[in-house]
Amino acid sequence: MIQKPTWWKPLVAAVLALPVLSTSTFAFQEGGDASGDKKEEAKKDDKDKKPEDRWFAVLNGDIHTGTGEVLRGASLLAKNGKIEKIGYDLDLPKDTKTLDAKGYRVYPGLVAISSQGLMGNAASDFEDTIDPFNSRMVLALATGITTTGTGGSAVKLKRFSVNDMVLSEKQFAIFSWSNRTPRGKSELREKFKNSAEYLRQYREWERKVRDQKDLPEPSKRNVDNTCLAVLKGEQTAKFTANDRDELLGIARLAQEYGFRPLIEGAQEAWTIADELGRAGARVILTPRDRNEKDEQQAREGGTSIENAAILHRAGVQVAIVPSTEGVDLGGIAGRDIIHLPVEVGFAVRGGLPEKAALESITIVPARMLGCANRVGSLEVGKDCDLIVTDGDLLHYQTFVQWAVVDGKQVYDKEKEFYYAQIRPRPAAEQPKKLDKGESEPKPKEGDEAKKDGAGSDEKKDDAKKEGDGEKKDDEKKDGEKKEG
Amino acid sequence: MKTKALLLSLCPGFLAAAAHADVLAIKVGRAETVSKGVIEHAVIFVEDGKIVTIGEDLPIDRGIPVLDRPDWTVMPGLVNCYSRMGCDSEGGDDMSPNTKASDELWPKADEYAELVKYGVTTLGLYPAGNGIPGQAVAVRTKANTAEEMILQDSVYLKIILRSDSTSKKRITDAFKKADDYNEKVKKAREKFDKEKDKKGAKKEEKPAEEKKALEEPKADEAKKEDAKDGFVPPEAEPKVKPFVDLRNKSLRALVSISSSADYLHWLDALGKESINWDLRCLMNRDSDLFYVVNKKAWDLDVDGIGDQKVRVVMEPILSLVPGTMRQRNLSLEFANAGAKVVFIPRNDTLPDHKLWLTNVGEMVNAGLKRELALRAVTLEPAELMGVEKHVGSLDKGKDANMVFVNGDPFEPTTRIQAVMLDGKFVFGEVNQ
Repeated sequence: MIQKPTWWKPLVAAVLALPVLSTSTFAFQEGGDASGDKKEEAKKDDKDKKPEDRWFAVLNGDIHTGTGEVLRGASLLAKNGKIEKIGYDLDLPKDTKTLDAKGYRVYPGLVAISSQGLMGNAASDFEDTIDPFNSRMVLALATGITTTGTGGSAVKLKRFSVNDMVLSEKQFAIFSWSNRTPRGKSELREKFKNSAEYLRQYREWERKVRDQKDLPEPSKRNVDNTCLAVLKGEQTAKFTANDRDELLGIARLAQEYGFRPLIEGAQEAWTIADELGRAGARVILTPRDRNEKDEQQAREGGTSIENAAILHRAGVQVAIVPSTEGVDLGGIAGRDIIHLPVEVGFAVRGGLPEKAALESITIVPARMLGCANRVGSLEVGKDCDLIVTDGDLLHYQTFVQWAVVDGKQVYDKEKEFYYAQIRPRPAAEQPKKLDKGESEPKPKEGDEAKKDGAGSDEKKDDAKKEGDGEKKDDEKKDGEKKEG
Repeated sequence: MKTKALLLSLCPGFLAAAAHADVLAIKVGRAETVSKGVIEHAVIFVEDGKIVTIGEDLPIDRGIPVLDRPDWTVMPGLVNCYSRMGCDSEGGDDMSPNTKASDELWPKADEYAELVKYGVTTLGLYPAGNGIPGQAVAVRTKANTAEEMILQDSVYLKIILRSDSTSKKRITDAFKKADDYNEKVKKAREKFDKEKDKKGAKKEEKPAEEKKALEEPKADEAKKEDAKDGFVPPEAEPKVKPFVDLRNKSLRALVSISSSADYLHWLDALGKESINWDLRCLMNRDSDLFYVVNKKAWDLDVDGIGDQKVRVVMEPILSLVPGTMRQRNLSLEFANAGAKVVFIPRNDTLPDHKLWLTNVGEMVNAGLKRELALRAVTLEPAELMGVEKHVGSLDKGKDANMVFVNGDPFEPTTRIQAVMLDGKFVFGEVNQ
C-alpha cells in the first residue's frame, strides 16, 4: 500500500527537521524565561494545579501525526486531555498514566463523518441523551473511531462520561439539487442570488454607516437565512448528489456565489474532478459504491474505484465513509461503520496516496465538521484523541489495541470481549533475544530459585513468538509490494 | 454480664407483676435479629404489639402464656419498600411530586391478606406515574382503615430518570423553582425585619409566636430560627415544596434508573445539590450497571454507586457478563463496593412475593453474605424509608412483626409457619 519509491522522503525530512525544530523552540522558551513572564507562569501553574493536573503519555510508539510525519519510537504527553508534547525522551511529571506503545503505531483518532447510533439512541441534545456505555460505542472505538459525525454535529466517543463531548453542532445547511426537480434548482439559485445581493448591500452599508449614521439598514426581505449563513461562512452547504450533471450544477452554483460545497455520494465526481476542484468542493464518498453508467450518454459515467484518487489529484478534499452509517449486524460483513479503515483501503487500491487516505478519515472530516482545531491530527495543543494499532491502520489484519479520548484510555482490546480472543497481545515485557553462544546476564539472587524450572521453557516460547512476528511482518510487506 | 442477666430476669417479672394480660412469651430455636446477629434458644416477650425483651433462654414467669416452638426460627417481618400492591390508580402529570400514595390506600384489597401469608408485614407504596410521580408511604399490610395502615407518610420521593433531556430538565427546573422560593423567603424576611424595626420597642406577643412555631414543626432549621421571632415564611407551592424538603433533608429521593448511562445523567442533573438519595436499579439479565459499580474499575469521571455509599433497591436476579453466559452477581459487586443492597421481589406480583426469600437465597448461593441478604429484606429497606425505629429487626421497643419459619429462611424447602404483625398472629394456626 505504501508507494515504495517515495515513502522515506517525508520521513527523512521529518527526522532532519526535528532537531532543528526542537532546538529552535527551546531557544524561544529560554528567551521567554529570561523576562518576568516566568513568575507569572509559575503563578498560573499554581492556580491550574488546584484541580490536580491529569497527565497521560503514550510511550515509544511509531507516531503517525496525521500531518504527514511519522516519528519512530516517539512519545506523546498530554495534560488534562490536551497534547502537551510530542517527541523523544520526554520528562514525565509524577503520576503520569502511561501507555507503552513500543512496537505499535499511534494514529490520530478517526472521525466518522456520517455515522449513526454510536452514542446509543442519542440523536440530539447529545449531552442529555448519550449512552456512554453502549456496545456500539465500544465497537466504534475498536474500529478506531473517536469522533462521530452525525447530522453535521461532531461528538466525541468519550466513554464513561456524559460531559464535554460535543465538539460542534449543526455545521451543515442541507440543500437539494436534483435533475428531477428543475424548479427546485432555479428556486435555490434565486435564493442564493437574493442572499448574495443582500450581503453585498449589507457590507456596503456597514462601510458607509460609519460616516452617515442615519443610513437605514438594507431590507432583509426575501432573504433566505440558510443561504445567508452559507455565504457568510457560518454553515457548510451540504448536497447529496451522484449524477454528473447534478455535480456540475452544484460546482457552478458554488463558483457563482463563492461558497465551498460539501457533496455526499459523488459517484460520478471523477468525471468532472477538475471542475469540482476549481469550485473548492469537498466530497464524502464510498470507494466501494457500484453504479452502472447511463448507456444513453456518450460521455464517461458510472462509479470508479479511482474516484477518490482522481478527486484528490484535482485538489478536492475527500472524506470517506462506508456504505452503512451505523453498526450493522446483518447481511454481508465489512460494509458498516466498524469497517471504516477497510473502506479506505479500497480508495488506496484505486490510487489514493496513503497520506490522503489517512486524512480522509481524520483531518478532512474534522475540517468538514468544523472541529479540526481540536481533533483530526496529533499536534501540540490539540485534544489527545488517539488510537494505538498493531500494524498499518489500513491493513485488514490490523486491530486497534487501545483508544484514547481526551487523554484517557477508553478502549483496550484485551479488556473488551469483542476481539480479545483474536491474536492476543504478547506480554508487554519480553526477555531479550540472545544469539547462540551468548550468555544471559546473571539474574539477581532472589530470582534464581523462581526461574529455575519453568523459566527457561517460557523464554524459548517467547523467542519463537518473536520470530513468528517478524515473519509475519515480512509477509505483510511482500503483500504490500504486490498490491502497489 | 451479671447486670444484664439481672435486668433480663427482672423484666418479665415486672411485666407479670403489672398484670398485663396480653403479655406473650415466645420460645423459638433461633432468632435472626438482623441487628444483633443470631440468638439461639431465643425468648421474646411481646406486649401491646411491641417487642418488650429479646434474649437467650430468658426465664418466663408463671402465668405468662408461652408459645414454645423449638424447631422454629424467627426473623423480622419482611419489608418491601418498593411496591404498588393493592393500589390501582393511574399516573397523572409527569411532574407531580406532591402526589402522595397515602391518598389511595385501600386496606381491604385482597393482596394484603395474601402478602401477610408470605411474611410481608411492611410495604413502601409509591404513587403511579412517570417522571416524578410523587411520595411513597410506609404501611402495615393489615389494618381496618387507611389511617391505621400508615406507618409513616412521605418516606421517599420517587424520581424516574432516563437518559433524555426532559427527565433531566424536570429535575434542574424543580431545583430552580426551589431557588426562586428561597429568594421569596429571603425577601419576605427582609420585609418582615424592616417592619419589625419600624415597630421599634413594641413588644411582640409571645403566645402568637409559639403558636406559629408549633404550626411548623417540620420546617427546616432556617425556618425554625425565623419562627422564633414571629416570622412566618411564605408557603411554598405544592409542587415546589418537596424539593425544598429534599434540600433540607426532611425528605429523601429514590431515583429509578435502568442503565449506567442513566446513572451518569442523574449525577449530571443533580449537579451540586446536596440531598439524600438512594437508587432503584431495574435489574435484568443484560444489565450494564457493572460499569458504574465503582469509580476505579472503569476509570469513571465521577464516583461510582458503591463510592456514593447509597442504597440500591434491586431485584434478586443474576445478570450476565455481556456476550457470554457467565453469570454475575451485581448485588455482591454493589455490596463489595460499599453500596447498601435492598432486595425487592422480582416482580411486584403475589407469586414473586411468595418466592421472594427463595430468590434472595439464590443471591446468597452466588456469594452474597447471608447477613447482608437478610438485612436487605428487613432493616435496610426500613432504614431507607426511615421507619427503622418501628420495624426491620427484632429489637426491644420495635413493633412485634415476626415471621416464623421451620428452617433456614433462604432454603427453598422452608415454609412459613406463622406471621405476627403488631403482636398479633395474622397467619398460622398457633395453639399456645
